[in-house]
Amino acid sequence: MDISMFQALLIGVITAICFSGMLLGIYTNRVIVLSFFVGLVLGDVKTGLAMGAIGELAFMGFGVGAGGTVPPNPMGPGVVGTIMAITLKSSGMTVETALALSYPFAVLFQLATTAIYTVFSGTPASAKKALEQGKYVKFKLLTNSTFIGFLVVGFAVGFISSVSMGALEAFVEAFPVWLLDGLTVAGKLLPAIGFAMIMTVMAKKEHIPYVLLGYALVAYLELPVMGVAIIAAVFALIVYFRADQESATFRNDDESEVTTDGI
Amino acid sequence: MESRLKLKKSDYIKTSLRSYFLQNGFNYNSYQGTGYAYSIYPALKKIYKGKPKELKEALLGNIEFYNTSPHMVPFISSLQLAMLDNGEDVKDARGMKLALMGPMAGIGDSISQFGLAPLFSTIAASLAIDGLIAGPILFLVAMIGIILAIKLTMGLLGYKLGTKVIDVLSQKISIISEAANIIGVTVISGLAVSFVKADIALKYTTTLDSGEEQVVALQTIFDQILPRLLPALVTIGVYYLIKKHNWSTYKLIGLLLSLGIILSALGVLS
Repeated sequence: MDISMFQALLIGVITAICFSGMLLGIYTNRVIVLSFFVGLVLGDVKTGLAMGAIGELAFMGFGVGAGGTVPPNPMGPGVVGTIMAITLKSSGMTVETALALSYPFAVLFQLATTAIYTVFSGTPASAKKALEQGKYVKFKLLTNSTFIGFLVVGFAVGFISSVSMGALEAFVEAFPVWLLDGLTVAGKLLPAIGFAMIMTVMAKKEHIPYVLLGYALVAYLELPVMGVAIIAAVFALIVYFRADQESATFRNDDESEVTTDGI
Repeated sequence: MESRLKLKKSDYIKTSLRSYFLQNGFNYNSYQGTGYAYSIYPALKKIYKGKPKELKEALLGNIEFYNTSPHMVPFISSLQLAMLDNGEDVKDARGMKLALMGPMAGIGDSISQFGLAPLFSTIAASLAIDGLIAGPILFLVAMIGIILAIKLTMGLLGYKLGTKVIDVLSQKISIISEAANIIGVTVISGLAVSFVKADIALKYTTTLDSGEEQVVALQTIFDQILPRLLPALVTIGVYYLIKKHNWSTYKLIGLLLSLGIILSALGVLS
């Protein structure tokens, strides 16, 4: 399918808003959000949702690592991946292949983000100067410079990805079948990185029982996510109430402590 | 005494909402510095009404390096403004602001990045996989709504209470975040084995006693012993490489891409 100029502009605007929402802290620069909106514009919400789900889980763990790490940007699968999955659907593109193919773009967009932060490193000095001279309007503009930069880059990413799909299609069609099959297999493995990444910050040794619990609930009982979450909540509440009680006992009551020791 | 104060409750609410602009000037030099000054600018203007020199100095003093959680920052700005409005020393207010930067970043991250975001992200993805548009919509509504509530609560808390709350708060938060962690770990572990997929394509042929030939897929045997064993092993392997060998995301992507392509070409995985 072809993308009209109007659709390309719309995708550009949506990407600009979602990408700069990252600075506002409103969680719009996520694969699940971007894919949904791109799917909506291109008239294929179903593929947008499928791409959003797999991409969101694959990218969930990115960005939770220690400060200073530069994670791949969700615009990769969210914009480029979704556009590929929808426009090349008739030539056999699966969401898994689209996810695998979108990683290089995710890396590229992250480099662009780093570049913006670096380019605007001079703004504090300019802002200081503007304040000293009493130019408050200039100061306000400078404090929003990164946001404006994000809007421009976001629009460029959305728009250029949409209008250059023809070139990308030719590029993908030049791929031999074994490579596309391989990318599909890789696309199914790649979410492991996101899950492992988030586990490295969330799971400590004492969480091993819960890792096993989650595995058993899904692999053997095949429960849906909400079911797993509710069973996990049971354990979480037990731990919570116990810890709450302990800290309360610890704070006021020496006598009860003696009694407990006696038992 | 009340009348002496220049800031009203509405000013604190307004400043809390302006914390959305905290990162609008984000850069690798002062991080959120200029954004912080910008978010408290209207409130400072009220405090230093008719004193342009003091206003300028206050703004210059607040564009320095700052980096904390954008969701928790209203607590800090409210406290700082309350101190300034009560005529306390500018240096003390600055000291408090710098002291709270780290703890608030920690609390904010454990709530939003390790708690809320993974929770709603996984729920939304599982709805979206079923083709429900409720997935992305629920994600946005829940995240934006909860974060707005956190911002306002923090802003009002900082205004009403003093620095002493932070101890109580962080104690309570650590229990809550541990409980949230348990849910997160369980759900993510379950999701990992349902979303990471690796199917062995290898088959072998055995000749039965009757002379008939039977094709046995290795995957079927694996599934009978430990279902979804391979996805679990892949995830554990990646976890190990990150934790023990500090592999970067890019190295891992390279590894899994080449593994996928090679094993598929060799006919091991399908």
